[in-house]
Amino acid sequence: MKLYDVIVVGAGPAGSAAALKAASMGAKTLVLERGSEPGAKNVSGAMVRVDELKVFDVKNIPVEREVKKVRLTLGNSGEVSLEIKPRERLINVGRLKLDKWMASQAESAGALVLTKTTVLKLKPEGVVTDRGEVQGKVIILAEGANALVSMGAGLRRDLTSEETVQTVKEVYSLNKDEVNRRLSLSTDQEGLAVRYLFQDPVPGAGFLYTYKDSIAFGVGVHMTSLISHRIRPQDVLEEVKRTLGIQELVKGFSLREYSAKIIPENGFPAWKPCSGNVYLAGDALGLVNPVTFNGIGPAVISGALAGEYAVRGECQGYERALLKDRVVSQSVKMRPLVKELLREENMKSYISMATELSSSWISGDLSLDAVKKNSWKLFKHALLLMGALS
Amino acid sequence: MRVEEKLYTLRYKKDEEPHLKIRDPAQCLKCEQEYGTPQPCIAVCPANVYSWDGHRLVLSYENCVECGGCRIACPFHNIAWSYPRYGLGMSLRYG
Repeated sequence: MKLYDVIVVGAGPAGSAAALKAASMGAKTLVLERGSEPGAKNVSGAMVRVDELKVFDVKNIPVEREVKKVRLTLGNSGEVSLEIKPRERLINVGRLKLDKWMASQAESAGALVLTKTTVLKLKPEGVVTDRGEVQGKVIILAEGANALVSMGAGLRRDLTSEETVQTVKEVYSLNKDEVNRRLSLSTDQEGLAVRYLFQDPVPGAGFLYTYKDSIAFGVGVHMTSLISHRIRPQDVLEEVKRTLGIQELVKGFSLREYSAKIIPENGFPAWKPCSGNVYLAGDALGLVNPVTFNGIGPAVISGALAGEYAVRGECQGYERALLKDRVVSQSVKMRPLVKELLREENMKSYISMATELSSSWISGDLSLDAVKKNSWKLFKHALLLMGALS
Repeated sequence: MRVEEKLYTLRYKKDEEPHLKIRDPAQCLKCEQEYGTPQPCIAVCPANVYSWDGHRLVLSYENCVECGGCRIACPFHNIAWSYPRYGLGMSLRYG
C-alpha cells in the first residue's frame, strides 16, 4: 500500500491551499474529493478578495466580473441604500471554475487529486474511503461545514441550530448586455455586489452578485428563526425576491441553478484546530466571517497554514499562526457581535432605526428619537465592534 | 416556481443506497406532538426532502442538495446523515 506524507480531505479552497503548500514543500500529497470534480459540491456567494488568495498564482484567476461597487441595502423594500467603492480588488467568481483552478495549482505543485471518493473515517496513519483505505502520515481535514470525519473522530462537535445560518441561492441567466443594462454596469467586465438586510418574513441577510451573463441572488436566515416561525428557506427567498424587486430585475432570465449551504457561526478557537497528526481548516473549523459571509479567504489562509505546519508536524505552531492571522482572527472576533445582531429583536430595531433616521433626514425633519430609543443597545454593540476591530 | 421544479436545474446521479436515514421513526411521532408541523427538519430543508403524511415522516433523499441543515435542526439527533458515495448525488455548475 502506498504511503503519503499528507492526505487532504476535500478539494475546496482550504484543501487545495493545504495541498499546494504541502506539495511545494516536497511532501508526497494526496487530495481526496467526494464530488465528481473539484467545486461540484461547493456553494458560496460569488465574491472573493483577491489579496486573500495570493498563496495561489492569482495572475490567471478565473474572473467573472470585477466588483467596482458594493451596495448595502436596508429594509424590506430596500428603503435605505449605501454604496461603497472597494479599496481592495474584489471579484465575482463561479465556484466550479474557481475550485478547479485552485485544485489544478495543487496538482502542478505535485499533489495528486482523486475525485468521486468520499472519506468515511480516520484510522491510525490514514483514512478509510468508500473505495478502500489509504495510508498517510498526516491528515488535513478540509471537509467543509458538514465535517463528518472530524466529528466522527471526536475532534469537534456538530453545530447547533443556534450556531447555524441556512442560505439558499439562485442563479439567473440571459446575456451580458441584459445583466449590464438591468444593473447599470458600464462594461462587460464590471461587476456588482449587494448585501441586503431585511426583517420580514423573518430577519435575514440577502446577497446579489454578478456573473458574466448571469445574476445570483440568495438569502441567509438563522436556523432558529426558520424553526420558530415554521417557515422554509425557499419561502423566505420567494417573499424577499418579491418585496425587494428581484423578481422584476430578473424578468425574462431563466433559472440556471438552485443551491443551499449552511454557514457555521462557531468554531475555532473554541474548537481545537489540530490534534496529533490531524489538522482542520476552513469551514470545518467554522472559519467564516459572519459579517461579510467571507469564507473563501479564511479557508485559503487557514488551509495554507495547515499544509505548512502539518508538514513540519507543529500542531501548536498552527494554532498560534491562526490566532495571529488578521483575516482569521477578525472572523473569530466578529462572532459575539453578530450573535447579538442576529437576535431578531436587535436586527428589527436596527433596521427600523436606520430606515426611520434616513427617511426623516430626507424629509427635512431629522429626528433622533430612533437613536435615543436604542442608545443602550448601540453602546453595547459599539463596544463589541471595537473589540472585534482591535 | 415550486422547489421541485428548481431542483431540475441540478445534475443528479442517484446513489441507490439512501444517504439519509431516520434512526427511530417513533421519535418523529413524539416530535410532531411536541413541535407540531412543519417540524424542524421540514422547516429548514431547502429541497423538500422531508414531508409528514399525518402519521410518519416521508423521506425523498434523491432531492437532497447536501446542505446538512436537517441533521443540525433535528432536536433529537434522529437523522443519520452521510454523503452520497462515489461522487453521486447532486452536482453544481455555478456553486
